[in-house]
Amino acid sequence: MINTKTAFMALWFTLTCIVIFGCFVLKNQVHDLEAELSKINQNIASDIRNIHILKAEWGKLNTPDRLRKLATEYASLNKINAKQIINYDALPFENESSQIKIATSDKAHLKQLVKAER
Amino acid sequence: MLPLRLSSQRHSRSVSRPSLNAFNDKSLFEQTDNPAAVQTCKQRMKVAALVFVVAYCVISLKVIAVCLPHGIKINLPQTHMFHEQIIESPISRADILDRNGSILATSLPTVNLYANPKKIQNAEDAAEKLSFIFPDLSFEDIYKKLTKENSSFAMIKHNLSPEQQAEVNALGIPALEFQTSEKRVYLQNNLFAHVVGYTDIDNIGKTGVERSMHKRLTESSKPLQLTLDIGIQDAVREELAVALKKFKAERAAAILMDVNTGEVLSLVSLPDFNPNISIPVGDTSLFNFITLGIYEPGSVFKTFNTALGLESGKVKVTDKFDATKPIIVQKRRISDFHAKNKWLSVGEILTHSSNIGSVRIAERVGKEGQREFLKNLGFFDTVKDFELPEKTAPRFRSEKSWTPITVATVSYGHGISVTPLHIITAFSALVNGGIYHTPTIIKSDTQKISRRVVSEQTSDQMRPLLRDVVLYGSGKKADVEGYEVGGKTGTANKNVNGKYLQSSVTNSFLAAFPISHPKYALLVVLDEPQGIKETFNSRSSGWNAAPTTGKIIAAVAPQLGLKANFDIKTQKAHIKAAK
Repeated sequence: MINTKTAFMALWFTLTCIVIFGCFVLKNQVHDLEAELSKINQNIASDIRNIHILKAEWGKLNTPDRLRKLATEYASLNKINAKQIINYDALPFENESSQIKIATSDKAHLKQLVKAER
Repeated sequence: MLPLRLSSQRHSRSVSRPSLNAFNDKSLFEQTDNPAAVQTCKQRMKVAALVFVVAYCVISLKVIAVCLPHGIKINLPQTHMFHEQIIESPISRADILDRNGSILATSLPTVNLYANPKKIQNAEDAAEKLSFIFPDLSFEDIYKKLTKENSSFAMIKHNLSPEQQAEVNALGIPALEFQTSEKRVYLQNNLFAHVVGYTDIDNIGKTGVERSMHKRLTESSKPLQLTLDIGIQDAVREELAVALKKFKAERAAAILMDVNTGEVLSLVSLPDFNPNISIPVGDTSLFNFITLGIYEPGSVFKTFNTALGLESGKVKVTDKFDATKPIIVQKRRISDFHAKNKWLSVGEILTHSSNIGSVRIAERVGKEGQREFLKNLGFFDTVKDFELPEKTAPRFRSEKSWTPITVATVSYGHGISVTPLHIITAFSALVNGGIYHTPTIIKSDTQKISRRVVSEQTSDQMRPLLRDVVLYGSGKKADVEGYEVGGKTGTANKNVNGKYLQSSVTNSFLAAFPISHPKYALLVVLDEPQGIKETFNSRSSGWNAAPTTGKIIAAVAPQLGLKANFDIKTQKAHIKAAK
């Protein structure tokens, strides 16, 4: 009886010690991870800040004024004029009639093939 | 001491093998003189044991609690939120974007320099060094701040550059300290000055969207998107600036609106200002003509007068009106600028901008009908729910003093003063099928309040009439091949102290394109343009506002993704001719 009780007490004590030690180790690890996480968060915040500044710089570099100056200086591009936009149907094809002939002959050939398959 | 007398036998036994559980060992208490004392002893030992057990449990729990990462409180959702908070907000005031997501206004992290005068050791030396780093600050000013009595805070300079901060740090003066701050930056300089507005040094919105949406910008870090477009705004501003210079006008303004939604795509008022530089209050460049500039619009108002006639049912498109001679109303003579001296149809009245014909239409409808119609189009109120704080109410006569001469003059745009915003909003409703959309500059998924103001039939009838003005009337110079411009000119003499000046005019051109299925409406206003050689010294709208409108439409239409609607036969002929 006494032996059982003693063993139980010893076991209880040992388990408590293990749990306490385990918790201590866990806390240490979590502490380290938290420090790492905090560092990562700081880096992310810093990166976001830098990206924010870079976006502002990009916006500044893309102002219409600056792009116009660059286009005038290097690309010699002019504004698009409505007259430059031509309707597709208005475009004249040199071999328009021959193209129609090809298209109709292709159609006839297709019909023959379908009949043959049947 | 416990009143116990232990037997010698038990005593020797307990010494040789001490019991671990003496408390339950009844043999220990076998030979006692006083059973009550034994009972008391047992109870006391039980209480003592209980106290020890409780104390042990508490200590164990405390040890476990201390070893846990956050004590015994682990709240994962809170931790998660904490991380999000860090990642989300590098700045406290949200950005303002255009409709395509380009940045118009943003905040950049900076530092402010302040001093603690109580800690300063050599104020003279510090002031000298600081004035060298900041050439815009005088030695005297800095010295005065550093020697401020009974104060532990003196702001030296806002928004230091990183180089300046490094230089101040290098001075090693312990009394100088930094305060993190934000500086509002307007990347497009003047381009959106009147729309975006600006903030003061404490980042509080003073004008424009910065003022009206201050709460939204500070409460949420999500960027605020506007309906305006950088490319279109730039094209409009460029053409308008050319016109302002060319016609030596005092002011120039333009507003481009999507007629089917009420979204404003461009809003320019010249002269404008650079919001990155502080502007003295009351400077003329701060004046937004589109929302604040009430003026007598002149003949562009004939558009509404014609719609009034058609909508009332008292006037038909085929009706003709006597414009053979000037008309007298309340002893005042009303004549036409380009008198045709004949009977004119409704279309001709608009095409030739006949004052007489317009008066005849208004007279047929009557005072009540005219007032009701104009009120319905929003000409009697401030434009509601428009997001710019700089707005003004129109000026018009009360119902009592709305006499027959008022009915007559209002028909051709005199005797009532409205803003360009009023005109463009009402005009959009006339051409889009009759629906009045509340104008907006904030991009939103929710549709704003809309209401029908004219019938679809009236709107359908108005469109060809407006096209005729550009094809055959005073607005010829506004035509852009392929984009079917329809519109109306307006040249109004300015009213100064109750007298109409012949020497100064405010010109407008009101356009919609493509007029067969209108998508956009544009209003161009030139205030006090001068006659030039190219216009044969004419100051009328057809010579300055109309061509400016044409140039703006030619520049923005391809950007708006509008397909030029050419007549194929004509185009084929052009191509053949080019060959």
